[in-house]
Parts: sequence; structure tokens; C-alpha cells
Amino acid sequence: MNCKGLFLTISVLFLNLAVLIAAPNPDAGKTIFKNNCASCHNKNMKDDLTGPALGGVEERWAAYPKADLYLWIKNSQSMVTKGHPMATQLFSKWKSVMTPFPSLSDEDVDNVLAYIDGVAKGTYGAAPKDATVAGTATGGAQAKGASGAWIYYGIFGLLAVLALFLWNIMADLSHSKALADGNTTAKKKTFWQLASSKAVVTFVLFALILFGGYTTVNNAIALGRSQNYSPEQPIKFSHATHAGLNKIDCNYCHDGARRSKQSVIPGTSTCMNCHKAIAKGSNYGTAEITKIYASIGFDPTTGKYIENYDKLSNEEIEKIYKKWIGDSWMKDNSKSSLTEDGQHEVDHQWNGIVSSLTNENKASVSGPIEWIRLHNLPDHVYFNHSQHVTVGKLECQQCHGKVETMDVVKQYSPLSMGWCINCHRETDVKFKDNKYYESYKTYHEELKSGKKTSVKVSDIGGLECQKCHY
Amino acid sequence: MKLQDQSVWVDEKDLTQDPIFIEQAQAEVHPMSLESVLEDERSSQVESNRRDFLKLLGFGLGAATLASCEVPIKRAIPYTVRPDEIVPGIANYYASTFISGGDVLPVLVKTREGRPIKIEGNSKASWTGGGTSARAQASVLSLYDYNRVQEPATVSGDKIEKLSWADLDKSLMDSFATGAKVRILSHTIVSPTTKKAIAEFTAKYTNTKHICYDPVSSAALLDAAQKCFGERVIPDYKFDQAELIVSFNADFLGTWISPVEYAAQYAKNRTVHAENPKMSRHVQVESHMSLTGSNADNRILVKPSEQSAAIAHLATALGISSVPSLSLNDKAKSALSKLADQLKASAGKSLVVCGNNNLGDQILCFNINQALGNIGKTVSTARASFQRQGSDSDLIGLVKEMQSNQVDVLIVWHANPCFDTPLAKDFSTAMTSVKTRVSFNALMDETASMCTHLAPDHHYLESWSDAEAKRGLYSLVQPTINPLFNTRQAPHSLLVWSASPNINGDSEQAYYDYLRANWTQNILPKAAGASWDLCLHDGVCELPASGTAASFNPSLTEAAAALSKPAGTELELSFTESVGIGAGQYSNNPWLMELADPINRTVWGNYLAVPIKFDGDRRFIAFAEVNENGEMVDLTLAGVKTTIGAVKQFGQMEGTVSIPLGYGRTKAGVCGSDIGTDFFPSLKIENGYVQYYLTDVQVSNSSGKIEKNFACVQHHHTLGVTAVETSTGKTINADEAALVDDAFKPLTKGYQGSLTKRSVLRQTNLKDIKESLEHLQEERKEFQKLNSYTLYPGHEYKYNSGHHWGMHIDLNACIGCGSCAVACMAENNVPVVGKREVSRHHEMTWLRIDRYFYGDVEKPNVVYQPMMCQHCNNAPCENVCPVNATNHSSEGLNQMAYNRCVGTRYCANNCPYKVRRFNWYDFTAADLFPINQHNLNKETDKPYYAENLIRMVLNPDVTVRSRGVIEKCSFCIQRIQEGKLNAKKAERSLNDSDVKTACQTACPTGAITFGDMNNKEGVLTKKLENPLNYIVLEEVNVQSVVNYTMKVNNRDENLYA
Repeated sequence: MNCKGLFLTISVLFLNLAVLIAAPNPDAGKTIFKNNCASCHNKNMKDDLTGPALGGVEERWAAYPKADLYLWIKNSQSMVTKGHPMATQLFSKWKSVMTPFPSLSDEDVDNVLAYIDGVAKGTYGAAPKDATVAGTATGGAQAKGASGAWIYYGIFGLLAVLALFLWNIMADLSHSKALADGNTTAKKKTFWQLASSKAVVTFVLFALILFGGYTTVNNAIALGRSQNYSPEQPIKFSHATHAGLNKIDCNYCHDGARRSKQSVIPGTSTCMNCHKAIAKGSNYGTAEITKIYASIGFDPTTGKYIENYDKLSNEEIEKIYKKWIGDSWMKDNSKSSLTEDGQHEVDHQWNGIVSSLTNENKASVSGPIEWIRLHNLPDHVYFNHSQHVTVGKLECQQCHGKVETMDVVKQYSPLSMGWCINCHRETDVKFKDNKYYESYKTYHEELKSGKKTSVKVSDIGGLECQKCHY
Repeated sequence: MKLQDQSVWVDEKDLTQDPIFIEQAQAEVHPMSLESVLEDERSSQVESNRRDFLKLLGFGLGAATLASCEVPIKRAIPYTVRPDEIVPGIANYYASTFISGGDVLPVLVKTREGRPIKIEGNSKASWTGGGTSARAQASVLSLYDYNRVQEPATVSGDKIEKLSWADLDKSLMDSFATGAKVRILSHTIVSPTTKKAIAEFTAKYTNTKHICYDPVSSAALLDAAQKCFGERVIPDYKFDQAELIVSFNADFLGTWISPVEYAAQYAKNRTVHAENPKMSRHVQVESHMSLTGSNADNRILVKPSEQSAAIAHLATALGISSVPSLSLNDKAKSALSKLADQLKASAGKSLVVCGNNNLGDQILCFNINQALGNIGKTVSTARASFQRQGSDSDLIGLVKEMQSNQVDVLIVWHANPCFDTPLAKDFSTAMTSVKTRVSFNALMDETASMCTHLAPDHHYLESWSDAEAKRGLYSLVQPTINPLFNTRQAPHSLLVWSASPNINGDSEQAYYDYLRANWTQNILPKAAGASWDLCLHDGVCELPASGTAASFNPSLTEAAAALSKPAGTELELSFTESVGIGAGQYSNNPWLMELADPINRTVWGNYLAVPIKFDGDRRFIAFAEVNENGEMVDLTLAGVKTTIGAVKQFGQMEGTVSIPLGYGRTKAGVCGSDIGTDFFPSLKIENGYVQYYLTDVQVSNSSGKIEKNFACVQHHHTLGVTAVETSTGKTINADEAALVDDAFKPLTKGYQGSLTKRSVLRQTNLKDIKESLEHLQEERKEFQKLNSYTLYPGHEYKYNSGHHWGMHIDLNACIGCGSCAVACMAENNVPVVGKREVSRHHEMTWLRIDRYFYGDVEKPNVVYQPMMCQHCNNAPCENVCPVNATNHSSEGLNQMAYNRCVGTRYCANNCPYKVRRFNWYDFTAADLFPINQHNLNKETDKPYYAENLIRMVLNPDVTVRSRGVIEKCSFCIQRIQEGKLNAKKAERSLNDSDVKTACQTACPTGAITFGDMNNKEGVLTKKLENPLNYIVLEEVNVQSVVNYTMKVNNRDENLYA
């Protein structure tokens, strides 16, 4: 190995890192687009819809600083008010402002722009995805974690290369010295000789055992944890549609979160509050929403609940809902009778309903929807949502991630004890706002005198066993 | 030699030097002999060899690997239509009333996600004040009893044929229709609406008669009231207004009529304030040591057959004329004469009650109260109690009717006459002559299994009903769960069978409509400002007291004729009612079966209590040469011989023995069957009343063989200590040495003696209170001076901020009833372990009630000490745990993390109070390995908690512990956390009422107070200021946070002089 090779390696490594940190991610952009933009902007990026076609948007804004485009996307109204020339021009053309998206970060906008650009130019989805980029997927925290690890790998590689380089020089030097000492038969040590030397073998073995032990212990600790668990649910319920697009408050359905230990999976009756009126979904038409009706016994054809529904057989239920699905199909396809295609679609949807609402323990279509439970704490852990939501005033997203962007919900946090404990170490208690904490007189005095700047959860016992285990 | 008055002991082994006892008391678990291990049939199960070990190892590894490969799918199943009132994770409380025959108690039922899991007292009921009994606490478990009769059926021989209610109704109505002679047999029924339903049935089928009896009868008291007051009711007793209480054999704190009510009243005058020392005096006249007798200041011992003589003697001494004079032992005679003087001094402020089922005794007692001017004051009929209504003569009449084939239909209503009456055998035989026999009973018990038709009733937690326990004090029963089985409420069945126009068969809740209509018509109009909704919410509806004082009719001639004559036999036996299982009604409830008898501390069985006496030197000699508790003796009752275990009983009168009823059931279900011995057949009937004593008794000398798995918990987890006698170098029990040896006497001065130089119990007499107080304070000062160091200096800083939990237990209020112990089991998922495991010291109770005797060995007084984890600030258990599974919280709690515990049991070994429990088996069937599981009593049973139905009673907020971990009292941490959270959510500071432990809310006398010691305005802080308080084992400086109040008695030595 020579100097040239070494520099090459280093530069490749750094290039990789740069790509990892800076490249916008069109996959993430797609999700954001679907949740936030697709209702007004055309997915093909070429035709206008409620809003203009987005293809080439960056070129159109090229004359202005990038910050203007960010602001335009996040809060167009403020730019119109301020009288930005591009903004006023667009406003006069389209006569309406876009919904503000203050929650989007610049990074998110970059991702969306990358997706728009990719679709408009036809590059997105066509070429095989860059392996390293795909690996980092969504979520800021994870991307950071992964790139952090890569830096270590990079440094490690660099040091290894350096060591080899040094060894090469040493070998050269000792060889020259041997020659200079008059040992004419001396040969330069080969790499193989180095690799098979006792010291190196011992070192490698030691390193392997260390690494193996470390990995085993870590994996054993992680046994039973299921971060990123994202099973397919009986209903293709999209939080992105409900919480993201329609902005339904989390507490509306999960109404236990603010008052009980469980956040509560909403009953079918809660779904019916809205779905009595909304009988067809934007993505799946009647296929998914009919499952709710079949669970609770609501006949969308008549708009009434079916009496004694729990006593009906699956066959009787089948008739009711097949009729509804068929009628909807005919209406949507402007047909007066059910063609073979239509019949196929009806059967297909009904089979989906049956397989979703029944399982080995539940034979009847009617009755509760048996969701797959995502967040499973061990039995000896007591967790109370209301303590965190109502008293601690945490956002749901802190533990559950951006559920409003998830079509299929996944377990965002590891739900490990270390994860809980860390948060209890770092989080401030809402000490001054809640009269309950008045009994902590010492802390109040210390806060007053400036001896303490804040009271962490751990200060009031947040790390003690029987706060969660009893 | 007279023994010291200041001494305290557990039993006579404690008073003598018994090395085996010392060894056992010191051992944390039962040291089993090799033979007993080898003969144990289970030991073959655990035999294993290297191969098994390797197999298990391999399996374990494989299982762990497999388990890690796949995440098991768990389902989250929401409601389809969620009820408005249910938020999963939050408990709902419903006001209801616990009713079981004459046992009535207004309660609140805690339900979680629609499952009742805990019973609390209803403080809106003025007469109970929110207290509960052990039986009420345990009643929630009987709801989930899988032995319940689950659907209507017809029975012929062994064949049980299930059928629908409609078919059952049809087949029954045929047998009614022909003008048949119908008899309804029940225990006491306190529900006015049920009675209305019975009246409707009787109106329809005019040849019907409702017969009512009580398993432990109060018929004589009722009949006496009929004669004296003109009304067949239990008079209203006011124990709180009496300075002097005299009870003739009435166990009013444990089992007699309405113990929770009486205990609440009684305790009001028993708690002492150091500044103004005043308390009532309680004299008990009895032969055996009852729960009430154990709380009395003085006991006057008379043989059961001398009861009449004793009452007559007192009556005569009080100047009541024409009372026959009967022979009575001299000691009692002299004591009663003195007592008469004291009674006269407290005229109008005294109370004489009598538990004998003898008309003469009862009439005389009313006359005594009349002579003392107590009638209208401490005894009245305005708020008469309806909690006992049974008539012995009616029951006898029914048996005669059946014997002469006069009855066509017999309806048995939660009564078990084939077991719980002295006529059980005759009844069973005569019953077969009745063509149609219908059972409402919940279990396939001795009587139900003889019936032709089963029409199972709801459990009270599934029912709509009402109760009028005392005149004008109504309470409602409302369902807290959908009926678990295909059952129907008994009065509903009666109404259907009588084709009543008042019950709407199409209605979803027909009986609810009926109940409500009855209330709207008959009860609500009488109550000013009451509405149905309000009554349902409160659970009670209390009308103002009404009725004029009835004129008193002495009826002395009837009394004189009915008095019993002293038998003069050498040995007499009294039958008692068990505080836990009653007369067998509660036999299938393992919480009550494993509740230790308050006095002799035995579980899972009934034992003959035999007297014990001091030989004046160093030995205690028990009757029938019983050396060890549990030794078998032959008991011959009127010629019938039974072999039974005996326990030596302090306070049992010489020449008498006693035995609890209610055991020995044959068809009680998985827990109650074949436990103990049935003595109902030995009961005699005199003058038409069942007598609870026998004079024809022989007891053989002990066979020396101890009953298999004899389980008595008093010596388990004892705090006793040994010492080395310096002169001989021998290890002795220091406590007992102190009692019997003059050389040790200085040690015991002013202390309890049982645990020499260890301050476990402190007691004094009312008149010595000043002196004892000084002594106490001096001593505490010395302890604190010697030992002021703390193990954790940093903790003080934390304790001063936020909360510091503490507890106060008033030993003067504690009567030892055991409701706290059962409440603790219910609240904290504490498992029952069965007789064999208890015999091995493996009981799991977090809270035990230690019973100590003190005073004179011949006439001892008793003190009960509830003992649970003391949450020591310098906890010795914490620093011996190798894995830090038990440690201290900043709120002063001694925490136990089960998932961290590896089961070394060092902590249990190091606990000075012996309150830590180890899960020797997987008692709650928490894991899947059968080898870990444990069967309650019989090998063939499956583990008790393995049944899903039983598991419904588990508190979802408390971890179910598995095998191999230690557990102990947590001060109901789940309630603390819930209370704190509620305060936080409401953004207010924490109140006393936010956090109450299960034992505290269960206590009928308010003996237990829990709270935040940092809350200066709290009730606890005030109680902690009581100068009579002390800390158990304060000298060892573990700095416990549980304070006890010194026991003060009002014993009058003159009565014995």
C-alpha cells in the first residue's frame, strides 16, 4: 500500500459521510407529501389541481434565497402579507393561500423538494435506491445515530490503514537496517508474516471475544423489546389520514390518555361518531370502513343501526354488507348492475372483512375489532398515561413519534427501562404550576435561593423502584 | 407461685423452657424432619438426577432462544360500544349491601373494567360507619367461585339434567298448581322487597309457609323480646353509651348478631387519652375464650350449664324478685355480687347482653337491664335490628311435617339444613318424602344435592335487592357485574312461579323494575328528600327513628321455668361460631379458611380447645395430657366418639372444653369439603331451642400423635428471642425464663415479658397509666439516646420534602377480628397456600395479627397486634440484599422490586419483625411450569388460581408474584400512587382522604391510620402526638415508621378477690 491508496481511501470515506449527513431523502419526502400536500397538489407534479403543479418549483424560486422558499411552504400567508414579489405574484394568480405547516423543518422541506424533483424528472423510483441512503430511512434521531456510528467506523478504518502504513514503513526500515548491518539474506517481512504472528492472532482473538461478548449481552438485554414493531392491523387504519390530514386530536379517540393509566383503544362506537357520515375512504373506498360497520352493526344503506345485530349469523351479515359494497361499486362505476368485475370486487372486499374481524378465538364478524397490540410493557411494570399527559404535560409524539405521519403505526420508542430512566433524569417537573408540589418545601426554598435551577423527575423519586414496579 | 402481672406470652411453650419451641420460633421456615419429608408423597415429584438437570438446562436454553425469535402477538380488544361510565384503567365504585343470611353490611364495591375486585365499607351507613368484616371482605371471591351452580337443572339420583328457565318454570308450576303444601326454608331474610315477593307467592299458593332459621340461632333472644317488648326483634344495643358492659356468652365483637356495628360502638369508649384517662369496663361471663372475651377487661368463668345460674345470681343481686337460686361456682358468685354493685353505680349507663339460646336467660337479661334503667337508653326497640329472625321451633315443626309426609314442595333458599342444624340427619331423611325439592343455593351443597330442581340464585354482587338491617335503616343492593352464569334471582323466580302481575317478563331487568316500584310506593315516600337515584348513589336510605317505647313486660314466671340447671358433670363442652367461616356458610372461601382463628391462631380446621394450668412451679399442665398443640384426642359426645386435634387454650375454664362449628362439610366445594369435623349432629335441643353446649362429654388422654399438617400460625414468624444463661451456659428462651425465674424478674419490669428486654408489646392498667407513661417515656428517651444514628444520612433531607409515609395502630381499638388481614389479601393479590403449606410456615399473609396473652395465667388478658412491614428508616433487610431488590424510597417506603429479587431470602432472615414472605411455589399460577405450581389441599385439584374465573378477582394494579421471590407489605403503594396522581391532576395538595391503605379502610373500629407524616394538619400527625405511642423494637434502632399505642385495660382486680 502506498500514499496514493491511503488518500483515496480517506477521501472515499469522507465523501460517504458527507452524503450521509447532507443528502435530502426523497422517501421521507414522499411520506410528508402524501400526508400534507397530496390533497391539493397533483401527484404527477406536472398538472395543476387545487394548487399548482409542483415540478420545477426550485428553478422557479432560484432567483430568491432558499430561506424564502422554506418560509413560503411553511407559512405562505405571512409572505403575502409582507409583500414578497414572488408570493404576491402567485397569490394574485391562485387567489388563495396554502395551509400553513409550521411543524415542518427545513430538512423536511428539503426532503419534499427532493421527492418533487425526483418525480418531475422521472428519476424517483426508477433507479435503484442508494443503499446507504435507504438504510437511514426516516427519523432525525436515527439518522444521527447511524451517521455517528459511521464516523466511528471511518475513524477506525483510518487508524487501521494508518497502522498498516506505519507497519510498512517499519518493515522497510528494519529491512534496510538488516541490509545495512550486512545481513544480505534478509528479506522484507511480508504481510502474511505479520498477520500470522502470535501477537496479532492473540489480539484478534481477544478482540473477537470482547466484541462477541458485547454483542451477546446487548442482544440479550434487548430480548423481548420490539422497537419499530409495525404489524399489519385488521383495519388499514391510517393515523396519517386521521391525525395528520384531518388533524383529529389524539385525545379524541385515545381519551384515556389524559385521565387513566391506559390511553384506551377507541371502541367502534367512537369511530362511528364520524364514520356514520363518512362511508368511503380516500384510499380504500368501502373496503376498510365497512369493517367498522360490520363490527358494530350499522347499515350504511339505511343509515341505521341493525337491531339485535349480535344475534345475526355471519351469512345474514354477509348479505347486508355485500349489498352495500355492491351498490357503492355500481354507483362509483356508473353501472346499473353488478358486472363480473364488480362481483369480484365485492367478494374480495367481503373476504377481507371476514378475515380481519374473525380469528381463532372469534368466529363472528360482529363484535369488537381485535387490534394487534403494539406497545407491550412487561407485567411487572406499572405505567400511567395520565401522569405523563395531564400532569407532566408531555406531547404524545415524544414517546410515540410522529404518529400523524404514519400510515401504519410502529413502535417508535424502545420502551426499555433505560429509556424511561433517562427521561426521568432529564425532564423538569412542572414544579411551580401545580399546587400539589407545594409539599416539597425544601425544593421550593432551594429554587428560590437559586441553589437549584430546576427540579428533575429523579429529584422527587422518579428513579425509585416502586414508582413503576409494584 | 403467682406469675407476674406485667408479663406477656404467646402460649405456654413460651412460658416454659422448651428447646424445640425455641428452635422453631427462631427458624424462619418450618424445620421439617427427614421422616416427614420422606413420607411426603410429593417428594417423589421433585426427585431428579443429572440427566434431568441437563434436560432442563437444554430446554431452558432452547425455550429462551425460541422465545426471542418471535414476538408473540398480543391483541388489544376495545369495546364495540363503550359504556359511558367505564374508562379502562379507572376503578368505579358502586354502593351496595353485603347480605348473607343475617350478616348485613352496607358496602362499596370496587370494579375494574366491569369486574368487582374489592369490597370497601360504606361510610354513609350511620350504623356501621364504614367498617367491614372479614366475611364481607372475602365475599368478592365467592362471586368467582367455580363451584357455583351455573344453570337451572333437574336432578334425579346422580343425573343432572340442564334445562332452560322456561322449562324449569313450567315443570315447577305444575307441582305448585295442585294446591300443594309448599314450604320455603331460608336463613334470615332482611330484604323488604324479597319479603314482598314471598308474600305474593304465599298469596297465590295459599298453602305456603315461609320458615326461617339461623345456623347459630338467636331464637330465644327474639322470643324473649316478643315477651318483654311485644315485638319479635333484636333490640338495639348501644355499646358506645355504656360505661360498664356485661356480656353473658355473647361474642358481640366476633360473631353475635351485628359485630361490625357493635365493634365500632365498643371501640369509641376503649381508646384512651393520656391526659384524660377514661374508658368503659367490659366483663365477659363465659367458659371458653371468645374473641369478645379476649377483649374484655375481666372474665368471669362459668361452665356453659351455669350460665343461667350466673344470670339468675346477678338478677337476684340486683334485687329482681322471684328468680330461682341455682348452684354456681363460688368464684363466679363472689365476682357477680361485686359486679352487681358496680352495675348499680352505672345504672342507665350500663349494658347487659346475653348470647345464650335460652329463653329464661334472655328474659332475665332484659329484666336486669330494666332494673338498671338501661331500657330506652342502652337497650331500645326504636331501631330494632332485623339481622336475626330465625325460629328453632318452626324448623323443628317443618321436620315433623316432612316426616309425616305432609309437605309437597320444599324450596330451600341459601339454607343448608342438611348440614347446619342439629336436625341435619333427620332433615335429610325426611326430605326424601317431599316430592318436589327446589334449591336456590349457590353451591351443590349438602342440601342442594338432595333437591330435585336447581334454580340457582345470583350472587349478591349480581343482584338487585335491598335490606332493612335495622328499623328504618334501608340499604340497596345493586349489581356490579353481569351474571356470570345462567342464574336468576331467587325472589324473581318466586314471582315468576306465582305468575305475579307485578313482574314484567318482557322487561330486560324485571326484578329491578319490581324493586324500584316497591321503593317508590313504600319506602321513598317515608324518607324526606330522598329519591331513588340518591339512594342508589348513596347505597343507603335512613329514615328517622320512629316508634314509641313499648311497655316492658317482665315475664319472670316464664323465665324461671326456662332457666337451665347446672349439670354438675365433670366436663362440659361449648360450641362456638368461627369468626371466619361462620357456621359453615363461608366454608368454600379460602380467604376465610386461611384466616387464622383470632384466639388459637389455627387455620384450615377446627380444634378442641382444652384448658391449661400452671402447676405453681415451672410447668404448665394441659388437660387430657396434651403436650403439643394439634395432638389427637378422642372426644366422646353423648356416646359418639370422634378423634380430633386439641389445642391448649389459656382462658379456657377448667372442666370445660370448646370447639368451633361449621367445619367438616362434605359438599362445600373445592376448598371447604373435608376440612375439620362437623359437630352439628351433637347439638341438643332443649325447650325448643338449640343449645350450644353439651354436658355429656368425655375426652381421652392425648394419643401423642399430632394431626397431619396441623397448622397454627402463632409460632410462625415470631419475634421471640433466646438468651444464654450465664451460670449454665445453656441457651434458653429469655422470655419465658423471665416469667418463671425470679432471677430474671428485674428484666421484665414495666415491659411485656414475652420478648425480654424487647419492646414488642406495652400494656398497662388504666389506674397505672401515669406511672407507665413516665416509664415509657424514660425508656424511649434512653433508646433514642443510645441509638440515634441513621444508616442513610442523606435520607433526612429527602424525607423532609414531599411525603414521608407513616402509620399508627391503636392497640386499644384493635379487636382482632381479621377484616384487615382479608382486605390485604384481596387488595394485594396475596395468595392462599393451603393447610400443608401453612404448616410449613409458608403462609403468604402480608399482615398478620399477633395475639399475646398478658396478666394472670389463670385469667389472662389478650392483646392483638397487627404486624406488617414497619418500613424502617434503618431497614436491616435492605443492606443484606445482594441485588438491591429491596431498598428505600425518598418517601420513606421500604420498596420491594420483585423482578429484581433472586430469592436469597437474606432479607427475610434479617427482618426483626418477620414480615417478609417467600414464594415457595407459584401459588398464583403466574407462570406456565406445572412443577412450580401448587395445589391447595388435594393432589387432584388443579392450582386454585389456575382457574381463569378465580383470576378475575386479581387487582390489575398489583403484580402477581411468581415462584422464588420475596414479597411483603408495600403500604398499598398502588393506592399511594393513585392518591398522589389524583391530587396532581386536580392541582391541589394531598389530603388524608386521598390515600388510605386497604387495612385501614377495612377496620371496623378505626384502629389503623395511615398518612403523610409531613402533613402537619393530617389525622396521622395528631395521632402520632399521643404520648402512649411506642415503636416496636425501638431499641434496635431500625427506626420503624409504624407507631403503636400502649394497650390499656380497665381490669378490676377486686372482682377476682
